Amino acid sequence: MSDIRLEAVSRWYGNVVAVNDVTFDVGAGITGLLGPNGAGKTTLLHMMAGFLAPSAGSVKLDDTPTWRHPDLYRSVGFVPEREAVYPFLTGRAFVNASARLHGIEDAAAATDRAIGMVALEAAAGRAIGGYSKGMRQRVKVAAALVHDPPVLILDEPFNGMDPRQRLHMMDMLRRMAAEGRTILFSSHILEEVERLSDRVLVVVAGRLAASGDFRRIRRLMTDRPHSFTVRSSDDRALARELLADATVEAVELHDGTLTVRTGDYGALTRAIAPAAQRARASLLELRPADESLESVFSYLVRR
Amino acid sequence: MTAALLSITVRALLNRRRTLLLALVGVLLVVVAALFRLSAPGDDEANRFALRLLGNFGLGVVLPLVAVIVGTAALGSELDDGTIVYLLAKPVARWRIIAVKFLVTWLVTSLLVAPAVFIAGVVTNGDTTLALGFAVAALVGGLEYAAIFLALSLITSRALIIGLAYVVVWEGVVAGLFEATRGFSVRQHALAVAEALGGDGANGVGELGIGFALAVTAVVTALAIGLAVRRLQEVELRGETA
Repeated sequence: MSDIRLEAVSRWYGNVVAVNDVTFDVGAGITGLLGPNGAGKTTLLHMMAGFLAPSAGSVKLDDTPTWRHPDLYRSVGFVPEREAVYPFLTGRAFVNASARLHGIEDAAAATDRAIGMVALEAAAGRAIGGYSKGMRQRVKVAAALVHDPPVLILDEPFNGMDPRQRLHMMDMLRRMAAEGRTILFSSHILEEVERLSDRVLVVVAGRLAASGDFRRIRRLMTDRPHSFTVRSSDDRALARELLADATVEAVELHDGTLTVRTGDYGALTRAIAPAAQRARASLLELRPADESLESVFSYLVRR
Repeated sequence: MTAALLSITVRALLNRRRTLLLALVGVLLVVVAALFRLSAPGDDEANRFALRLLGNFGLGVVLPLVAVIVGTAALGSELDDGTIVYLLAKPVARWRIIAVKFLVTWLVTSLLVAPAVFIAGVVTNGDTTLALGFAVAALVGGLEYAAIFLALSLITSRALIIGLAYVVVWEGVVAGLFEATRGFSVRQHALAVAEALGGDGANGVGELGIGFALAVTAVVTALAIGLAVRRLQEVELRGETA
């Protein structure tokens, strides 16, 4: 029963617009905030967590504006992106201090529970200064969870984690979401968002480029025109064969580089080997020409 | 919750090498006093030297130097490295955070300065009343400095530089040149306290009435703390790239 509501929210720093007229609601379950670096994800999260005032529009948790309402932190846990954590405290002391600052009566029990949730028992007695990136990330999550908040906001929580820690964290977030919590996390990695979230918000250059069910957005992303660079023993013959294939939209042979464009990613990858066979050419290399996340995003924005 | 805040702040301050080095400044005060004593001075000369050492060096240099370094670090270091987010993301009233930071700044400053001033005074000429007067003056001046520098750290990210400039330019030069500005010099407020409590040996060291000095100290301290609370309520956290 905790919804974060953004209505026509903009935020600028001097002349720079970081977030531009964004409206959305985040409810129970896991929502992924996806976007390239510098898209305004952190600015959005900080406004939702009450660390930044919106320049225009309103950011509310249920019906209370998040800015200048520290009491809201009783129901919000926030995991910042920045790594800095008091280096002189042990992990346990840090989580315990969080518990006490939240006014939890049995701080020791809450601390143990939170440390158990992130599986950091073994390192809890050591100073945070000596922690690895992944351990720091987990101790930050433990501190944010210690008061058992219905809303959890995480800024790039998987940064610096190894695959095993990543899976563990994903499991934990899924469990917490299953308990009816509202969980919002940001990431610039498509695959993380795909594996974890029910809902996705895509932000590019401060605007909300797409939002909704991940499968729909995924389809938008895979159905866009794809370009491949191909190298083979006989590019010209291969180009001729490829052009005969219905899935191919365009073929360009320029400066000895063969570029193929298709609207159907999967069909082309299946069609190219038979085409090479027919052209009696050896396929040396097949490489997506524009698979960077930025190009995916900019495509979504242009639509 | 106050205890948790208190312990983090104290540990953060004591963990900085800078703070520990500050203890040496106090030691220097005592060393100068001891060297002077070794030169076997006469009584009058010893009293004049005590006033100069405790007034100019103790209250004029050591106290503001320690206060500016401790005061701008108490909250400023957390603002610098972003760990402030762990304090701000708690349902703790902002005035309470400032109150604790102020208290810690004052206590640490007092601990580093007042004993050194007292010992230096006793070593110089054995006048314990005078030494105690100056030590209490350091405690009172410390209140005002702590509030000013804490507020400064919330106004600018260059609080240490600006604070040092203030100490040198305002407290050191301007307040010495113009009589009209002395009413707003923290050192003069502290000297008034030293004169009031320091016995006969401290006669004439201050230039302000004790009532006026205490009133201005109280008002400046309250205003600075109020400003700090206000600034903390409105402090904005941007991302690293923003």
